[in-house]
Amino acid sequence: MFAEYLPVFLLLLVAVGVAIFMFTMASLAGPKNMTPEKAIPYEAGSNTTGARHIRLSIKFYLTAILFVVFDIEAVFLYPWAAMFRRLGWQGLIEMVLFLAVLGVTLVYAWRKGALEWEK
Amino acid sequence: MSVWMLVSPLLMLGLGGLLVMLVDAFVDEKAELPILTAILLAVAGGVAAAGIVNYDNVALAGAPEYLTRYLAFDRFALFFDVVVCGGAALSALLAGGYLREHDLERGEFYILIIYAALGAMVLGHAIDLLTIFIGLETMSLGAYAMVAFRRTSARAVEGAVKYFLLGSFAAAILLFGSALLYGATGHTDLAGIGEAIEGGNASIKLVLMAMFMMIVGLAFKVSAVPFHMWTPDAYEGAVTPATTFMSVAVKSAAFAVMVRVLLTVFGDDLSASAASGWPPVIAGLAAITMVYGNLAAIGQSSVKRMLAYSSVAHAGYAMVGVVAAFRVEEIAVSSVLFYLMAYTVGNVLTFGALIWFGSNGREAVSYEDLAGAGRRHPLVALPFVIGVLTLMGFPPTAGFFAKYYVFNAAVQAGGGMIWLAIIGVLSSAVGAYYYLRVIVFLFMKEPQPGAPIAIPMRSGYVAFVMIIAGYFVMKMGITPGPYLDLAMSAAEQFVS
Amino acid sequence: MDVGIGEYLALASILFGIGAMGFLTRRNFLIQLMSIEVMLNSVNVMLVAFNRYQPSNHDGQVFAFFVIAIAAAEAAVGLAIVISLFRLQKSVETDLPSALKH
Repeated sequence: MFAEYLPVFLLLLVAVGVAIFMFTMASLAGPKNMTPEKAIPYEAGSNTTGARHIRLSIKFYLTAILFVVFDIEAVFLYPWAAMFRRLGWQGLIEMVLFLAVLGVTLVYAWRKGALEWEK
Repeated sequence: MSVWMLVSPLLMLGLGGLLVMLVDAFVDEKAELPILTAILLAVAGGVAAAGIVNYDNVALAGAPEYLTRYLAFDRFALFFDVVVCGGAALSALLAGGYLREHDLERGEFYILIIYAALGAMVLGHAIDLLTIFIGLETMSLGAYAMVAFRRTSARAVEGAVKYFLLGSFAAAILLFGSALLYGATGHTDLAGIGEAIEGGNASIKLVLMAMFMMIVGLAFKVSAVPFHMWTPDAYEGAVTPATTFMSVAVKSAAFAVMVRVLLTVFGDDLSASAASGWPPVIAGLAAITMVYGNLAAIGQSSVKRMLAYSSVAHAGYAMVGVVAAFRVEEIAVSSVLFYLMAYTVGNVLTFGALIWFGSNGREAVSYEDLAGAGRRHPLVALPFVIGVLTLMGFPPTAGFFAKYYVFNAAVQAGGGMIWLAIIGVLSSAVGAYYYLRVIVFLFMKEPQPGAPIAIPMRSGYVAFVMIIAGYFVMKMGITPGPYLDLAMSAAEQFVS
Repeated sequence: MDVGIGEYLALASILFGIGAMGFLTRRNFLIQLMSIEVMLNSVNVMLVAFNRYQPSNHDGQVFAFFVIAIAAAEAAVGLAIVISLFRLQKSVETDLPSALKH
């Protein structure tokens, strides 16, 4: 049974042997002159810049703060939506007032330039 | 008269704050913001005061359930509306002078004052664990932001970091205590919890743990030793009007909720006696707060930091009155209320005088800054002198009667509480040293050669605040009767 | 195993303890902020669990909603303060030597 695979093993052996022979001969016989040009990751691409750990711009934090504040307010919308019919008009008016307050704060954030990306 | 009159101070601040936000967002000229804010707060306080006077004519019985379930509209709450609104209005005017002088004028400050004051008022009204938490956080979040207001200053930001971290930690502890109370009794309203505990339907272990955690959380807010670590840094780092606001409104509101929670929830015989429950705990806290606050204030070279430790010590004096409330409710609670009112005007006067002595680029903070300033500007130094005398408790100022009433309450409570009054008197005698030192520097020292000389700022706002606060300090010192009657009528409901 | 109120109380207490330990032992502002959030959320677990034993009302669940909303507001203020801190000292450690130490 193994006899059937023998040629495959031989072929693998030859392939690995040829590869090892070529690398060894290249490192033994080839010329070695290292230049800075050769050391960079992409010899033909654009140059890489900066450290591996990228610090996100502090501007993301401002967006995150606004998101957290306005997003979490939805926690009050879900129970209201689930009980919409039972709460009736009083519930609707209260929710409109709640959203109006949120709207004023959003207008405030907008006028104060908190929504601008470049400042 | 309708119940809405009693609700209107809260509504006015809530809606008025939105109005101020819109004005700040759409009007470029910011000059009117301090005045607008102060008028809003003063009107709200005035309506609350009118509510106390006409209280018996108000039909509370027909009030809608959604109003009265979470908030009480009693004289006690209205009293704190007056104190908080008054302190906040004066702080806003001080900010009008201070922020402009030091080129820090930004509209946010006034919005923060309004909403922090709203949170403080909600705390005074709160009769449910839910509204206590909401009020506490609304007030505290505003106060954190006010401390961090001067964000280019390392001291301000560091003070804000400490205040924020420790304050949030304390709020989480208080919240855990609240949840335990809810679990032990099945109620979130204070009266329901109190009845369940009194009826013996609650696990006593859970209740004791909850009581301990709530006391720790509130002790942070009133800056009682050993939970005061944030106080000197936050008070010194903050812009002085923010310090003024924190030391009067935030502290008063924390005392309001402390008195209400201790007396309505833990008012039963098991939780409140001379030997068990909260009275010995608060008594211990009061004693070390008074002693430590006064001793630490002596060593300070900065007047602002000294006033921070002085406010720690004053929390201790007010807690003496809180302890006495377990036995002589009316006398003790009214003494605490009078104390907070007198302390509010006295502290506004002193911090305002400190602000007055600072001009652009030269803020007066240390004793040395004040050397000889009193002789050069006697009229500006006068409120400073009256301010430190009332904080010291010198007759005939408001501070004298305030201290007299709380110590008297401890003596009236008798049985094991008299030692607290003795510690209070002794430690306030120690306090006289660092308060008088301000006067010594103002009038008897000369500035070091080459040192910058304090020049008072020119601000109508600050001068106006000095007149108002000075008037009340002297008025409450010479004729304390009407103010004590007001405090008595607010304390009436706790008589069992 | 039958899960009763005791188990929920234990879970909430353990979470609260983890948060408190994290707050007290770490000196990174963001981690301390997260510890506070863990503490608040442990309270939420407890409130909702206790509410199961009070079928007549929803006070505990309503309370939990408000805690969630307030925790978000607190996180927003905390993040704003951390930005100021970072701009000043280029780090979010809370125990660096500073102007306030004497």
